[in-house]
Amino acid sequence: MDFANLAAQLNTGVILPEGIVLVTLMVVLVGDLITGRASSSRWSPYVGIAGLLAAIVALYFQWTTTTNPISFLGAFNGDALSIVFRGIVALSCAITLLITARYVEQSGTALPEFIVILLTATLGGMFLSGANELVMIFVSLETLSISSYLLTGYMKRDPRSNEASLKYLLIGAASSAIFLYGVSLVYGLSGGETRLSAITTSIVANNGEQSLGVVVALVFVIAGIAFKIAAVPFHQWTPDVYEGSPTPVVAFLSVGSKAAGFALAVRLLVSAFPMVSEQWRFVLTALAILSMVLGNVVALAQTSMKRMLAYSSIAQAGFVMIGLIIGTDAGYASMVFYLLVYLFMNLGGFACVILFTLRTGTDEITEYSGLYQKDPLLTLCLSICLLSLGGIPPLAGFFAKIYLFWAGWQSGAYTLVLLGLVTSVISIYYYIRVVKMMVVKEPEEMSDAVKNYPEIDWKLPGMRPLQVGLVVCLVATSLAGILSNPLFTLANNSVLRTPLLTPATIAPPASGTALLDQPSIHSSNSTLGG
Amino acid sequence: MNLADGVQLVSFAVLAAMMLGAALGVVLLANIVYSAFLLGLVFVSMSGMYILLNAGFVAAAQVLIYVGAVNVLILFGIMLVNKREDFAPVKNVWLGRAATGAVCLGLFALLGTMILATPWVISIAPPAGDDAMVVIGKHFFSDFLLPFELASVLLLMAMIGAIVLARRDLLPDELADQDGREPPVALKLPERPRELISGKK
Repeated sequence: MDFANLAAQLNTGVILPEGIVLVTLMVVLVGDLITGRASSSRWSPYVGIAGLLAAIVALYFQWTTTTNPISFLGAFNGDALSIVFRGIVALSCAITLLITARYVEQSGTALPEFIVILLTATLGGMFLSGANELVMIFVSLETLSISSYLLTGYMKRDPRSNEASLKYLLIGAASSAIFLYGVSLVYGLSGGETRLSAITTSIVANNGEQSLGVVVALVFVIAGIAFKIAAVPFHQWTPDVYEGSPTPVVAFLSVGSKAAGFALAVRLLVSAFPMVSEQWRFVLTALAILSMVLGNVVALAQTSMKRMLAYSSIAQAGFVMIGLIIGTDAGYASMVFYLLVYLFMNLGGFACVILFTLRTGTDEITEYSGLYQKDPLLTLCLSICLLSLGGIPPLAGFFAKIYLFWAGWQSGAYTLVLLGLVTSVISIYYYIRVVKMMVVKEPEEMSDAVKNYPEIDWKLPGMRPLQVGLVVCLVATSLAGILSNPLFTLANNSVLRTPLLTPATIAPPASGTALLDQPSIHSSNSTLGG
Repeated sequence: MNLADGVQLVSFAVLAAMMLGAALGVVLLANIVYSAFLLGLVFVSMSGMYILLNAGFVAAAQVLIYVGAVNVLILFGIMLVNKREDFAPVKNVWLGRAATGAVCLGLFALLGTMILATPWVISIAPPAGDDAMVVIGKHFFSDFLLPFELASVLLLMAMIGAIVLARRDLLPDELADQDGREPPVALKLPERPRELISGKK
């Protein structure tokens, strides 16, 4: 194999977005060394955001002109699904960077290093979304995980942060080990194949249709993935880690890291375990039911906003899993759509929590009472985002949930959908509790924190980006429901154009029904929404 | 059975006994220093297994990385945290131990059954032996190029993270004196810790 031949086979253009993120990371790192802390903490967030936006633009160009998605001799797959998931991870990091600057600065820690580690986590998540080979999956998973552990413990003088980081590290290391064991079993069963596309044929050729080994490997692999997406019963780390980490990190973990986990779940389960697909659907159904019930019920009892959002994110992961379990085109598309909407509403919620914390120094839910009189913008944004998370009609979250449940109902997953409906009703209670606390209270019932609310000053360093992030999430959450057509098309196309998910794309019936699905969901939306 | 087979069998038995005994010691001994040294023994016997499997390079890497780096790091960690503390004995401690033992035995039985029931494919390609390094190097620069390069990013980030965690930061009081604003909370979360319910009463 000569060099020119090898270079042509590598097809390196596919990882251009990741390359841009990597260059941004190096620029922030080296620029911080050259210019010093004081000046670099001013420009580094903007450089990071610019780099991530450039990566998203590069992803857009790949979306329009994908010819050969396989690169690095099968290690990386840049198909439409991976492009969407990489976009979600990069976008969540960009919004997180917007809301980060003021928070990190106020806590007296170094901002450029924080950004570097966050960008590395993003890089890991982006590679994970397209990883097409077992070694690549593991290395990118570790890149994502280890940077997350570091970010969690970034407030190093705070015992809560230390505890969160240690807990995350230990549980994460254990789950990585279990995942690795499962992956090594897959490697052995397939007679030494690491590429996902080759594993199935090889296992079937060697072992026949099913064997105990495949099932054991499957269970171990699911345990590793479920830890990443925080599904019950692999969720024990979530509340403590969310409470003890810096809030921007929580925002990234709950959206970016989770999206990467779902991308891994789709790719690994669909392409490497089709022969035990009933079994993995069954296991995931159990996980989804447990996540929806436990996440929503335990969230009712929380007094801290961050803990409440932690349990809510567990429950949301349960909802998203419905789309993965039913495994139809509409199911995958609704999953992608839900994640896109969830990105904006959840990050918007966290932006509000960060802003309130910065101004009052607390995140107790009771301290939010009477906030409406002092800060209408914050109240509006937090209310919209929480109501959208709960699925109240004209907001984006409602349409995402309706699409998901509709797709589930179409493919006959009645139990899951009914349970999802019941638990969303429960979830509305605890979201509305916060809204009621902020809006309804009389002035004399105002909490101490709100009574001493400081003057609203957007001129402080780092406040402007936070405001921009807040408004972007607010607009996206309120309009993405009504004007959801571009997002719907994006989600549907990402599934239809991925050869992995639609092996029967060439056959006319499959694509025909998928095209027919789109208008029908729109009409159902408009009737229900109106 | 010729002489080579006999030697292999005997050394396998010795290595397996050594590894199992040391691993049990790691888990069961109460003194953590013994556990750490026994862990080193487990790693060494594992590298012996690799030599029996004709994988000399992996064996060398195992000794260098696990015994030389990981285990020594664990020992350093134990020595730095040399804190003696007498814990109050827990009631019904045998119950937890019995449950753990049962779970471990169950898992072992499951994995054992799985290994025996699966028709493993045995590779017919001749073992690389001493050429393993060349083969590994070729893989690193062809089909495993991307993970290999990504690992370098991972290591860079781990190094930055370690420095961030370990370095001495500028004390926030000094920062406050410099520009006269309110002193930022010293490397802590801006949220106040929650009051425990018992503390309120």
